[in-house]
Amino acid sequence: MANLNVAGSFRDPSGFLFLQDGIIYRQVNRVYKEHYDHLINSGLYKSLVDSGLLIPHEEVDINYAKSDNTYRVLKPEPIDFISYPYEWCFSQLKDSALVTLEIQKEALKYGMTLKDCSAYNIQFRKGKPVFIDTLSFDRYHEGEPWVAYRQFCQHFLAPLVLMSYRDIRLNQLLRVYIDGVPLDLASSLLPFHSRFNFHLLLHIHFHSKSQKHYADKPMRKEMIKKRVSLTSLLGLIDSLESLVRKLKWCPKGTEWDDYYISNNNYILEAINHKKQLVSGFLDRISPKTVWDLGANTGLFSRIASKKGIQTICFDIDPACVEINYLTAVDEGETNILPLLLDLTNPSPGIGWENEERTPFLKRGHADTALALALIHHLVISNNLPLDRIASFFNKICNSLIIEFVPKSDSNVQRLLATRKDIFPNYTQGAFESEFGKLFSIQTSEKIKNSERTLYLMLAKEA
Amino acid sequence: MKGNLETQSVISSAVFSLPPLMFAAYNIHAYIDPGTGSLIIQVLIASFLGALFLLKVFWGKVKVFLNNLFSQFRKGNG
Repeated sequence: MANLNVAGSFRDPSGFLFLQDGIIYRQVNRVYKEHYDHLINSGLYKSLVDSGLLIPHEEVDINYAKSDNTYRVLKPEPIDFISYPYEWCFSQLKDSALVTLEIQKEALKYGMTLKDCSAYNIQFRKGKPVFIDTLSFDRYHEGEPWVAYRQFCQHFLAPLVLMSYRDIRLNQLLRVYIDGVPLDLASSLLPFHSRFNFHLLLHIHFHSKSQKHYADKPMRKEMIKKRVSLTSLLGLIDSLESLVRKLKWCPKGTEWDDYYISNNNYILEAINHKKQLVSGFLDRISPKTVWDLGANTGLFSRIASKKGIQTICFDIDPACVEINYLTAVDEGETNILPLLLDLTNPSPGIGWENEERTPFLKRGHADTALALALIHHLVISNNLPLDRIASFFNKICNSLIIEFVPKSDSNVQRLLATRKDIFPNYTQGAFESEFGKLFSIQTSEKIKNSERTLYLMLAKEA
Repeated sequence: MKGNLETQSVISSAVFSLPPLMFAAYNIHAYIDPGTGSLIIQVLIASFLGALFLLKVFWGKVKVFLNNLFSQFRKGNG
């Protein structure tokens, strides 16, 4: 029986996640009994699950337990695809921060508090952020400060203000700092005028100075004098909430956000024909999951998602992912998840032993991958050989819908305009030959009013 | 700009030189280190933010009351 602990679940003595026969379970240790019982019996669990803020679970047979100190074993509702904060756009991180604060406010109503505010406790389910760590709630005793305040500021507030005030790409700091962006770094990177925002001044600039000042001064626990009343705690949360809510980033000015509007090569007839072909190919293979790589704002991803297929859109451009996510939110789409990903440098394994956060390639597999208007960027802009590209796609999907863009295409000519053409093998023949080694080509169709060809391929058994 | 920085520096020194002993060392049983500096700044700012929060809630109630009053007044005139 395959049975192993989840690599990123070891810090909290309250319990841990483990996999058994491909199903994820959460063990609740006896030490957490009082808190777990209060979560369930107080009605907080029901309230959070009913409002879609907390992942639902069912209690299963205690015999599933992995050790003697077990109080309960839970089977949480599975998440289709695990994503990480450095793969989220601005609004995804902002919505996740607001959900976390909403949960903390709700928890306080029921006499509990969030002891863990890690951004990794949020995942996207049916298009919305949901809190997944059922063991992050502790009994609240009036007077106690919020122990997760530092963590909230580092995991959510600092990256959000940096993205909003300085540069949208600074969310990538989360990939370097697994416990959130250090506040002294955030404070030094923020522009001077950020100090005129009163709440930001308190939660980032003063907070960072306080951390620095007391870094080597232990607090004496027995000297209790001052406390944080419930009203003060609610004031702190309200301040964080209003600060986060007012943060803005307008998705524009990047390379790809107006691709379909400004790109004359993509005349309407070609786009419509490509849509028809993609739709027809999808009908032919009926996948349950689709990964659209280089999805832009999700124009073609939505052909899949509108057929009820679970679709994940990956793109390198934060503006495209932002527009895609906001569209999904506006339209109430539940089976499309836009994520930020550089295919030439996908998210690695990070944390302890490089295993706490799983690398992109180990997080799942698609029934079908879409690679539309992508291959010329991989070959010409990134010098990737065709055989390596075919090998990559063979690892991630069972079937592939891929567009070949020849050198004569005006977009490829643009890529070659400023560099030497060192790609004599970038031909349709070589493309078919290399991909034919790992895929069986089912069909190919020329896209009207363009020089491009769309292929449907099935991965060969390894 | 320099003056602003100096003022901020003076305020920061005054605030952060308060001895840690003044502040709560709570019965903290969380598995995550809340951080001494983070706890102290929280204690320092929370009372003020709590007061602001109460004002906000009070003002919200005043606005609702006034809105109701005006809408009744308009209905009465209509």
